[in-house]
This record gives sequence, C-alpha cells and structure tokens, in this order.
Amino acid sequence: MRTRVLSFLNQWRGTAKEAFENVSIVAKFLCLLHVTDRYIISSTHVQGPSMLPTLNLTGDVILAEHLSHRFGKIGLGDVVLVRSPRDPNRMVTKRILGLEGDRLTFSADPLVGDCSVSVVIPKGHVWIQGDNLYASTDSRHFGPIPYSLIEGKALLRVWPPEYFGSLR
Amino acid sequence: MASPSSSSFWSIASRQAMNSGLFITKLYCFLHVTTNYLGFMAYAYGPSMIPTLHPSGNVLLAERISKRYQKPSRGDIVVIRSPENPNKTPIKRVIGIEGDCISFVVDPLKSEKSQTIVVPKGHVFVQGDYTHNSRDSRTFGPVPYGLIQGRMLWRVWPFQDFGPLGPTPSELTN
Repeated sequence: MRTRVLSFLNQWRGTAKEAFENVSIVAKFLCLLHVTDRYIISSTHVQGPSMLPTLNLTGDVILAEHLSHRFGKIGLGDVVLVRSPRDPNRMVTKRILGLEGDRLTFSADPLVGDCSVSVVIPKGHVWIQGDNLYASTDSRHFGPIPYSLIEGKALLRVWPPEYFGSLR
Repeated sequence: MASPSSSSFWSIASRQAMNSGLFITKLYCFLHVTTNYLGFMAYAYGPSMIPTLHPSGNVLLAERISKRYQKPSRGDIVVIRSPENPNKTPIKRVIGIEGDCISFVVDPLKSEKSQTIVVPKGHVFVQGDYTHNSRDSRTFGPVPYGLIQGRMLWRVWPFQDFGPLGPTPSELTN
C-alpha cells in the first residue's frame, strides 16, 4: 500500500519537473522578446490625422528602433515616438523640427492668419510638430519637450503593404 | 594521442564557457527586470535636499511600482530625469501636482521676489528642500509625469538615519 502511494508521488514529481522546465523555457523566451521589443526594435500601430500625408489617417504599422535616442543620434527631420507631456499613458508620433539652441518661427494658428511667434529651444529640449499643421497638437501648443520623453525613432512602415518602405 | 585529448579539452572548455555565459545572461535579465520594474538603489549626494538628505551622500531605496498605477502625491521624494540634461537624474520633492496653484520665491539668495504659477495637466512641480541651493522647477518649470523615474521609500545608509523618508522635510539625527 505504502509503495503504491510512493510510486504515485514519484510519477507526479517527474511530471512536475517537466512542466517546470517547459515553463522556464517559455519564460526565457518571453524575457528575450520583451527586451528586444523595449530596447532594440518594436512594431507600433499609429493612427490619427496629425502626420498626414506621411502616415495614413486610418492607421499604419511602423517599425521603430529604441537605440538611437540613448546615444543622442536623433536629428532634425526624424519621425519619433514620444511620451505625451499632457498624458503620460499616451505615445504620440511626430517629427523633430528643432533641436536645443535653435530659433524657430512658427505661425501660432495656421487657420486664422499669419500671426507668427518666435522661440528659442532651451537646453535639453526638442521641438516636435506633426506634418499636418491643421490637425496636430504638438510643440506649437505645449512648447518644446524634454529630450528624455523621446522613446523611439521610426524606421519604416510595414503595413499597409502598398505603402511598405521608409517614411518620407 | 595528443589530438583526441586536446579536442575533448576544448569541447569541455567551450561548454563550460557557454554555461557560465548563460548563467550571467539569466542573472543580468533578472537584475534588469527588478531594477526597471520593481525598485532600485540610488546614491544621492549634493546640498539641494538638506535637511532631509546628507549633502555628502546617502544610499536610498527607490521603487518604480507606484508610478504605474497612481499619480505622484505632494510630499513624495522622486527621482526625475532632468529636463535640462537627459543624462542627469536629480532627486527632488514633489510640491505640487497638476492643477495646483504654487507660489514660490524665485531666488531666495538674491531677493524676496515671488512668483505664482498653475501646474499644467500632466506635470508636477518639484523643489529641493534646501531652496537656497537647488536647481528645480523654480528654474526649469514643471516636469511632465513621463520624466519621473521612481519614488524614494527608505534610507539605507548612513545607518544612524536608517528609516523611511516622510512627506515633510525631516531633521537628521546628528
């Protein structure tokens, strides 16, 4: 009787060990996926009218890399993924139009008139702006944003397939 | 005679190296997940948080969990990424959250002139406890939530001051 119970427990120990090994393989794979997605390259779904005609209104999937901003290799004209200064849970996609120290002149409200404003971008900040000036909330509204809010640089568009390629 | 033993030596050595490499990778992965999502230790020095923190150095324990689920509250000591220099991470106290109307003395060393601002949505106003020698939101303006890296919980060193960091500036024991 006791030997039967012991052999039953031994069977379960074998299965438990197998299960644990499989779970640890899955955990290691997820870990690798996570590190790649967060620190090297990831795909993002972006939508909205603020980057027309570069990005479509109904949504595109773009590949973004997360290495350039750590080494300071973000330059003028790059399309970047930025954490919104108004809502920290939202990521926005805009283009960099000014780096620290630049003087920028822009039209405060392009629908109304030519009232233009001139700013100097402070140290440690960048100026982001959407390509569609008429439907974009960007640095013209909330001012230059600190460089650290940049989280990635867009590389190329992968969906829809007819627009596959680099963003221009 | 020499050839089979040397090839088995290399195969054993390379397998050992791979095992050690794998172990180091797993350890690094675990450390990375802990310091980026749970909490980390920080060494804080400088005069801007006297009397709460020693100017010559403190070792503090910071956590990253609360910033995901709730907004920072007044009185928290936070680590932020400086809006002036993305490579610096100063430690300051949150004085005002979004919507607050803050009155502060702009430069206590120079004059008594004070300024009043309203903290915009999505931002916090941070200030060092030693306002005479602190570069904080009085200089670079309110800081967006996205720049907050973590909240200080506990002081580990010096041992006389081991204990929690409270919501108001606290005196040191010596």
